[in-house]
Amino acid sequence: MNLAIAARPEPICGSETMLPVPVRILDMHPENFNTRTVQVQIVDEGLRQRYRWVPGQFNMIYVPGIGEAAISISSDPDQHEAVGHTIRLVGSVTRAIERIGKGGMVGLRGPFGRGWPLDRLHSGDVILIGGGIGLAPLRPVVYWLLKHRDRFRRVMLLFGCRTPEDRLFVPELEKWDEDPRIDTLVTVDNATGEWVGPVGVVTKLLQRIRINADRTTAFVCGPRMLNRAAAWSLEQLNVRSERVFISLERNMNCGFGQCGHCQYGSKFVCKDGPVFALSEIADIFAKEEV
Amino acid sequence: MPAIQLAGGIPYYLPRSGLDTLVSTLSEEGYTVLGPRVMDGVISFQPLTSAADLPRGVRDEQGGGSYRLVDGDPELCFQYVVGPDGPKRYTLPPVLQLFSVRPEPDYYAMEHGPPSPPKLAFLGIRPCEVAALAVQDRVFAARETGGFRCEADSYYQQTRDSALVIAVNCTHPGSSCFCASMGTGPVARQGYDVALTELRGGFVVQCGSPRGTTLFERLPVREPSSAELELAELRLEQAAARMGRRLEAEGLPEALERAVEHPHWDEVAKRCLGCGNCTMVCPTCFCSTVSDATELTSKVTTRTRDWESCYTHQFSYTTAGPVRHSIRARHRHWVTHKLSGFVAQFGTSGCVGCGRCITWCPAAIDITEEAAAIRGDAQWAAAATAARKEVAA
Repeated sequence: MNLAIAARPEPICGSETMLPVPVRILDMHPENFNTRTVQVQIVDEGLRQRYRWVPGQFNMIYVPGIGEAAISISSDPDQHEAVGHTIRLVGSVTRAIERIGKGGMVGLRGPFGRGWPLDRLHSGDVILIGGGIGLAPLRPVVYWLLKHRDRFRRVMLLFGCRTPEDRLFVPELEKWDEDPRIDTLVTVDNATGEWVGPVGVVTKLLQRIRINADRTTAFVCGPRMLNRAAAWSLEQLNVRSERVFISLERNMNCGFGQCGHCQYGSKFVCKDGPVFALSEIADIFAKEEV
Repeated sequence: MPAIQLAGGIPYYLPRSGLDTLVSTLSEEGYTVLGPRVMDGVISFQPLTSAADLPRGVRDEQGGGSYRLVDGDPELCFQYVVGPDGPKRYTLPPVLQLFSVRPEPDYYAMEHGPPSPPKLAFLGIRPCEVAALAVQDRVFAARETGGFRCEADSYYQQTRDSALVIAVNCTHPGSSCFCASMGTGPVARQGYDVALTELRGGFVVQCGSPRGTTLFERLPVREPSSAELELAELRLEQAAARMGRRLEAEGLPEALERAVEHPHWDEVAKRCLGCGNCTMVCPTCFCSTVSDATELTSKVTTRTRDWESCYTHQFSYTTAGPVRHSIRARHRHWVTHKLSGFVAQFGTSGCVGCGRCITWCPAAIDITEEAAAIRGDAQWAAAATAARKEVAA
């Protein structure tokens, strides 16, 4: 099964392959103490009209003099005026983006990679499992699922993070919690403040819901250990590995399989992924330092 | 009749004196002629101004972790094996400027784009290097990434499209060589414009493209005698038999794929210094890192793409730390990618058997020995397969 060949939107760049196009920061919304959602607008109108992406894809965001970082897109795929990126301020590029701030300009190349297989979702149950910033590439999926809600039976979102203060998209999490169309469960590793919700790793939430293995598709994105734990838990629940999809994080430089950094076994995470079916990577998924 | 036969159309014979005409003709046609010349104690692939620059009378002695230039036959120009560098230095430059930008009040303005691709003539590259160019062609081919403009390296493509390849078949393989087992040498089979085989008085010439034929028809060539042809074939046959090493590629990609946890990697890791020399001399290694440098006064930022080695920590660095933190994992990655990953990614082995990684490894780690250890360990492979079946069940 070759998913990489499936039609994907054409990426944009400047006159040179590695030259980013200018984009303006329309908004920088604080999600929590170290996370911001940055809405950028492609300055060139022609390119903006042409620019398309699918949930799960990422852009390379460039700050001149600092560098580029691969950031997944976290906004609504039907919203074409601006493209949202949720960044955690942990590296030189993300910190520089924050310094530039609303109204400033950065560069963009993309979108790259293969996103979530929305076209291959059958009319069953969909479980989204996100850990920390891993919720960012899942948010476009939530928007998409809610828009096409009648095609599916159950839609569930399981989200875990370190503390309640680490949550992102809090107003939306609360909205989805009220929304009967999606079952939202949030857990934290450490209950601080007034948190009265579940405590523990996100995979523990799987025990709170009934999984119908035959008709379940799972999308997972989080830190490495969460991905592994989720894959293992889903396997225990008899969800087929062909229907468990995991988005991976790697060092990326070019975005299209020519710089070598993101290799994972014989896969290029940037172009063969970042989303993989567990069955595609089962041989190496549990191995260290591959 | 010799077992090795020269391929291609009607051969020519170019007397040694014709080499100068070859270099000057190429220069007149606007080519930058690149070829072997002695520099810094090695035979390096450098610009040539005349045939006098060629390493005439010089030979190299290579082995695990060892390379020396010694006196050779004063008549011959191509009696060395391969130097530490080759045409990759020019198709995929160690440092390539991508662009430079100047800050503007709002954003930044383009100052310079990349350099325009040069018109190169590769004179005297070995069949293993011709094969390595073909491997890199697959890596940088736009079709591999869906054919989108923003996912193609135009500098590589344009440099390759205009480059003229004049190969010299290998009559003096070294002790690190194993091109015969990789099927890439000692005779160039495809991917060249012209292939020469050196004899004492001159060269048997095979043209591999119309461009090559047009070029050599203008040179002082004649028809080779049957003795010259036979001698050339004999030399190449002897070369094939004199390979210093051997690599059994059959079943190797699969064996390596299964061998992630093979104990042999621990053994090699004890010797590997993690220096990355192997990746710097490998003619198919393509990894790069892009970085910015900003001038303090003008504030002009130049973005360059530099060769990168998978033996460094920063190569796989993410905010959670490097993915491959041990030398064991980094060395395993390189060997596995070279001999197995390339096959899955590009439909070809990443190894052409040039032996450079063996010669230039300060610890004399030998990729052929490692491949044999992993491939030959049938017991371990069987146990690993059984364990996997058990997990699957």
